[in-house]
Amino acid sequence: MDWHLLGLSFITVFLSELGDKSQLAAIALSGGSRSPRVVFFGAAAALLVASFLGVIVGEGTAHLLPAKVIKIIAAIGFAVMAIRLLLPKPETTEEVS
Amino acid sequence: MNPYSSAPSQPTLHLESTLTEQPSHHGSDVSWNSPLTSRLLVEEKERSSTIAEPTPLSPSVPSPRPIWTIFTSTFITIFLAELGDKTQVSTLLMSAEFHKPWVVFTGAATALITTSLLGVLVGRWLSTRLSPKTLDTAAGITLALLSVGLLWDVFKM
Repeated sequence: MDWHLLGLSFITVFLSELGDKSQLAAIALSGGSRSPRVVFFGAAAALLVASFLGVIVGEGTAHLLPAKVIKIIAAIGFAVMAIRLLLPKPETTEEVS
Repeated sequence: MNPYSSAPSQPTLHLESTLTEQPSHHGSDVSWNSPLTSRLLVEEKERSSTIAEPTPLSPSVPSPRPIWTIFTSTFITIFLAELGDKTQVSTLLMSAEFHKPWVVFTGAATALITTSLLGVLVGRWLSTRLSPKTLDTAAGITLALLSVGLLWDVFKM
């Protein structure tokens, strides 16, 4: 095991992710949804798959993702969740003991 | 071998069977002490389609949105937002440079799990401090800003 490379990749990714949009999204979603554990699993799974794809593609030749389209879809997803949170809800606020 | 070995369980079973026949309607609030009867009751509750309250085994809180909706929407949005982001690009470059993709993946995965765990912990801490309405507004504004930032990235590219 190459501990130097492991530490390097950990620190690089950790510092670049700290305060980045996925962490902000995790904060917002877990605060807004009342089931933070599910948000954590969803976020962690998404990040794992994303970095796995990064590793796979990095081993290949080039990165051939239509980044614009993907980012537009992600922006729409965030916007939909934002609207869902910002619009007044009729009866959904439940008291959690 | 021992004829008395099965004897103590026999009367209680008989007692339970007579007791379970007694309630006229389903779900009477009799407190059961035996673990067997409580397990049987739980199984019976699970089998019947009309569950009045969640079983104590499930840790989930009854939320307005189902769990899989939350999971999939979180997964898809964060996955798409991260795809082609600088983290993925740096992972890609490192694994291409060092030719040890699994080490890079392990490091990146650990870092990503840690940051999202920190984010969720912060969100949960905030949810204990703020009222749900304030929190929803703040979360909605944050997500809207993220959406705008992503669009900004797209049109800057």
